[in-house]
Amino acid sequence: MEKMIPHESGIAHVTGEAVYIDDILVNEQLLVGRVIYSPHAHARIISFDLSDAKKVKGVHAVLCHKDIPGHNQMGPVIKDEPVLAENEITFVGQAMFLIAAETEDQCREAEKLISVEYEPLDAILDIETAIAKNNLLGPPRKMERGDAEAALKSAKHIILGELRTGAQEHWYLETQACLSIPGEGNEINVFSSTQHPSETQTLVAEVLGINRNEVVVEVRRMGGGFGGKETQGNHVACWSALLCNATKRPVKIKLFRDDDMIMTGKRHRYLTKYEVGFNDDGNIDALKLEFNSDGGAATDLSFAIMERTMLHADNSYYIPNMSVTALVWKTNLPSNTAFRGFGGPQGMAAMETVIDRVARYLHKDPTEIRLKNFYGTETRNVTHYGQKVENNRLNLIYDKLIESSEYEKRRKEVDEFNSKNEFYKKGLALTPVKFGISFTTTFLNQAGALVNVYTDGTILVNHGGTEMGQGLNTKIQQIAAAEFGVSIEKVKVNATNTSKVPNTSATAASSGSDMNGMAVKNAIDTIKERITKELSTIWSAQYSINPSLQNSILFKDGFIFDSDHPDRRISFADAMLQMNLRQVSLNSTGFYKTPDIGWDKIKGQGKPFFYYSFGMGVSEVLVDVLTGQHTLLRTDIVQDVGDSINPGIDIGQVEGGFIQGVGWCTTEEIKWDAKGNLMTHSPDTYKIPTVQDIPKDFRVQLLEGVPNPIGTIRRSKAVGEPPFMLSLSVWLAIKDAISSVANHEIEPEFSLPATNEVILLAIPKLKPSRFQRP
Amino acid sequence: MNSKISFILDGKITYIDFNPANGLTPTTTVLNYLRKFPNHKGVKEGCAEGDCGACTVALGEPARHRSGGVENDRIRYKAVDSCLIFLPMLHGKQLITIENLKSADGKLHPVQQSMVEEYGSQCGFCTPGIVMAMFELYKEHPNPSRAQIDDAITGNLCRCTGYRPIVDAASHACTHNGVDHFNTDEPRIIEMLKSIPSESILIKTKNQQYFRPATMEEVLLLKQKYPDAIVLGGATDVALRVTKGHELLTELIDISGIADLKIVNETHSELAIGAGVVMNEVRKSVEKNFPALHQMLNVFASNQIRNVATLGGNLGTASPIGDALPVLMAYGSKVELQSVNGKREVSLNDYFTGYRKTLRKPDELIASIILPKQPNGVIVKSYKVSKRKDLDISTLSAGFSLDLDKGVVKSIILAYGGMAVTTKRASITENFLIGKLWERETVEEAMQMIDKDFTPISDVRGSAEFRMAAARNLLIKFWQETNTK
Ligand SMILES: Cc1cc2nc3c(=O)[nH]c(=O)nc-3n(C[C@H](O)[C@H](O)[C@H](O)COP(=O)(O)OP(=O)(O)OC[C@H]3O[C@@H](n4cnc5c(N)ncnc54)[C@H](O)[C@@H]3O)c2cc1C
Ligand code: FES
Ligand code: FES
Repeated sequence: MEKMIPHESGIAHVTGEAVYIDDILVNEQLLVGRVIYSPHAHARIISFDLSDAKKVKGVHAVLCHKDIPGHNQMGPVIKDEPVLAENEITFVGQAMFLIAAETEDQCREAEKLISVEYEPLDAILDIETAIAKNNLLGPPRKMERGDAEAALKSAKHIILGELRTGAQEHWYLETQACLSIPGEGNEINVFSSTQHPSETQTLVAEVLGINRNEVVVEVRRMGGGFGGKETQGNHVACWSALLCNATKRPVKIKLFRDDDMIMTGKRHRYLTKYEVGFNDDGNIDALKLEFNSDGGAATDLSFAIMERTMLHADNSYYIPNMSVTALVWKTNLPSNTAFRGFGGPQGMAAMETVIDRVARYLHKDPTEIRLKNFYGTETRNVTHYGQKVENNRLNLIYDKLIESSEYEKRRKEVDEFNSKNEFYKKGLALTPVKFGISFTTTFLNQAGALVNVYTDGTILVNHGGTEMGQGLNTKIQQIAAAEFGVSIEKVKVNATNTSKVPNTSATAASSGSDMNGMAVKNAIDTIKERITKELSTIWSAQYSINPSLQNSILFKDGFIFDSDHPDRRISFADAMLQMNLRQVSLNSTGFYKTPDIGWDKIKGQGKPFFYYSFGMGVSEVLVDVLTGQHTLLRTDIVQDVGDSINPGIDIGQVEGGFIQGVGWCTTEEIKWDAKGNLMTHSPDTYKIPTVQDIPKDFRVQLLEGVPNPIGTIRRSKAVGEPPFMLSLSVWLAIKDAISSVANHEIEPEFSLPATNEVILLAIPKLKPSRFQRP
Repeated sequence: MNSKISFILDGKITYIDFNPANGLTPTTTVLNYLRKFPNHKGVKEGCAEGDCGACTVALGEPARHRSGGVENDRIRYKAVDSCLIFLPMLHGKQLITIENLKSADGKLHPVQQSMVEEYGSQCGFCTPGIVMAMFELYKEHPNPSRAQIDDAITGNLCRCTGYRPIVDAASHACTHNGVDHFNTDEPRIIEMLKSIPSESILIKTKNQQYFRPATMEEVLLLKQKYPDAIVLGGATDVALRVTKGHELLTELIDISGIADLKIVNETHSELAIGAGVVMNEVRKSVEKNFPALHQMLNVFASNQIRNVATLGGNLGTASPIGDALPVLMAYGSKVELQSVNGKREVSLNDYFTGYRKTLRKPDELIASIILPKQPNGVIVKSYKVSKRKDLDISTLSAGFSLDLDKGVVKSIILAYGGMAVTTKRASITENFLIGKLWERETVEEAMQMIDKDFTPISDVRGSAEFRMAAARNLLIKFWQETNTK
């Protein structure tokens, strides 16, 4: 298989020809849609008046909840999110009214003429207040193994503490966008920037009160998703569909950056409490964790996200006695949602903090504690939820990375640097990742495909996954080309379209290539079966003494041939024409469901994951003790992706995921004011990494020669999310640097993100020195 | 006066007449203008405020000498954020978009080719902007260093790639001495640009008056006649009032075409920088004699912004977090103000009178900024503390100057930004230090004095506590960096 294939849309990207929602050419009847959202975190709507707004020239529709023909609901799992607010608004940024007009200015003019009377109500704006008011979003959950309580009592050492991890804004470069175009009767065509076209279709149908077979959702590509368009792309789609339905004209909504940031949910912030029991050697015997997440005003995917937190609270470590409690709190903020890692990062941040604290307590290097507590291969290899950690590659990766990163040597150099420098400190940390691959809601682990072969030998592949930059379509193109034995130019991957492949799952949980790749292969196998059967008939008739066996007929280098009689061969294109003349169907659907998994949500036991992805990172930072600013000097990563389908794309996922994680760990800080207004609502104040923030020396390796032992597509492994969490190495390296100020004797006050402010204010508390007043 | 503007797009002269029929106003941004065309949708909006670079295009102009004159045989290409440029500012320039990069035979430009080969795009939404930023690098800095590449790309956010492949693409692509199909076309383009007269333009629409004078005299007369009109230097600050604030700006005087304001004049004792000199040019001009200002400009906004933002505009905002201001103060700079009644010089020390208030009279223009060359032995340093090191607005910033006599502080300037409603000197601390030995104990004592000088606010960029801690610490940092022992 050809591996180093450039991104399938690479040329379209660099020439500006790639089409995103806002670039689709629409006739002059196109209207601009605008969403009017609530200015209060919590209030009752006493009255509103839209009549003046409707009079503005160029305005074609001004809608409120009463104008919704179907259900006023767009919650993906729990129906607790109105499409347009009715009597109460529950966060700043909640959609209340919709306007469609000929120009943006007309929309704004109409917006000014909408009058609303509110009765402000008390708002809950943080986890602490929600806890105090017992404002849960749903029932708490618990997962347990052994007896953590008893083991803590008998432990030699105990540490308890709290960790705060912050929210994160997706900051996809393309903001949420949707274009709806009316068809005949009830028909509507929805061009959406969504990771979940089937759900978008479902919700649009429900909101308009029409059937699903009347709604077609199409996604060519997204300008980034990262989880932010898994459920919340649906919202913009519902709004634009409503306006389209009301005006019977094409309507496009593309959120302005600030509106997008204000209206949409983020990565959940967490407040995590931990209590760990361990012995003198640093063996952890007991761990009690309590995760509290800020779910925002509605459920969205908060419980699935929290479940993944619980399932990754162990990260890579075997802990005999473990108890994990999880509470999702309801606040008056936009409903928080999926974001790369899906709760995993928050779970792992807690676990890695625990390891780090144990190490500091025992005056040992944290890597020693990590190694000691890693899951074993023969024993100590079952997680707290009962899944066996098979094909464990932790030690393999650890050994490789310790050597390639020269960890030991650099540890000494860092310590020496710190002993000689007062105003600059260095820090070094290694963190592992073990990430479970599969949706934990088991039925979602299914995918579909539709493959068409045409009589010129070209192939059009449809599948249920969506392309958001991760290279899914490139991998699909490679898979189809390899399976048919043709060059990749012969394969085109179509825009994802619900009329081609129905009832699909979201492109999420890193599973896009795994599942859709298999579904495509399944479709291709069906077509190949028909072709080989027909060819064996043809050839056997031609050479009746020496008939061709169907199983011996292979596809390679643009030809189909009988491997027992290589002179019997036909070019792929000629064969397709023949097949058509002989009335053989050249298209097929394909389907895949992940085998061998099963998860009992109630008991919290079972095998939720098909397999695990492993990786590790070592990062070194330089902290300016006087300003709190840091520099990322070097990062070494070793990531296990099985047998990579496309190393260029996989390395891109590792690097991109890692840097996005670095943002979460360092400069990406979200702040709300006391009234629940987002203060960091633009890139002016919300700072994602620039090119200057990547490691000065960045060394990423894929683990080679280790195909996935279980039957995944081409023995590859998922890669989208796991590397995100390797960024915890940067976060803990910063902590290492800070803690060196007090010679690692005092536990620094630390939280995530480690902004320059967090860093600078932690230091005087460690060392009430002459120059730093406490 | 002409009411049309002319510039080159797609290799042809394009005229714009502003009228309700085409929906264009003088404050329509180049981004919104381009996106109206079916064949110019490659330019993307990611933020509409200059922070993401997705809207990057290139502008070509005949290269300029530092003295102000024009080199007639070469075009200088600059990457700019099209979301912050008003259409009339294009007058007399060549606008180059992502669609223009392929050669006529359909071959990818070397930077495009490398981006494909190096996996430089994932979702692709940032990519046209990145390619255009790289295009300037390709044309202006053959064989760039890593630092030059980083500098060229800082203004482009990419949420997907982690930038490494983009850096690699740049370093592989920019190896052809800047040669590409634009060279072939350059003589023709230069002739075309010359054919566009540099005349005064007045664009009058129902609600707006936009003046684009051609000479300094006209500017001063307009300023006298319309004292409330908004002066546009590079518009990187003013444009946000339109793109983010959705304000209707009714009277504007665009001085971005005034050659007299773009002159850098160096004598043995001082450097006078015209108010209209863009930050990238300022950065070059001060590298030798004013390294602290140079250093500050290295972390000032992004290349795209520095290509249009002016020094006059930085003073013009009178923002307490204008980055050039503390360090200019530390250099003892003067502001030259000009009106129809003549010129006057004001010390920057006295210039700011309150929150966004200055000594400048409504009819006056900032004409230039004068930096005195420092006597031997005077040390000047600058510091910027921001959440992200690059392309971020300061939480606080500082410019310090120190003159020692046998280890004793003879004179000292401690100018801070972000600590008060204006750029402000820590005069209590300065007075405390004068006459004292420049040693650690003294400086630590001085750090406590900072509390008397400032009571900063808490805001989205940082708490008051953080600002105070960092402000104190910068003193010890300054001591450490100047301590020759
Ligand atoms: C993304 C981004 C990043 C930025 N980063 C930084 C940064 O790091 N540091 C920083 O300090 N600033 C930063 N800025 C702010 C801004 O770019 C600078 O202040 C810049 O110097 C303004 O120059 P300009 O020519 O574009 O000003 P304009 O927008 O043209 O004008 C700004 C103000 O000055 C007035 N003015 C302009 N010229 C004159 C004159 N000759 N006489 C009298 N008044 C005049 C205008 O009327 C206006 O009130 C940033 C802005 C953006 C959008
Ligand atoms: S759109 Fe982001 S810089 Fe112009
Ligand atoms: S490739 Fe997606 S933002 Fe850069």
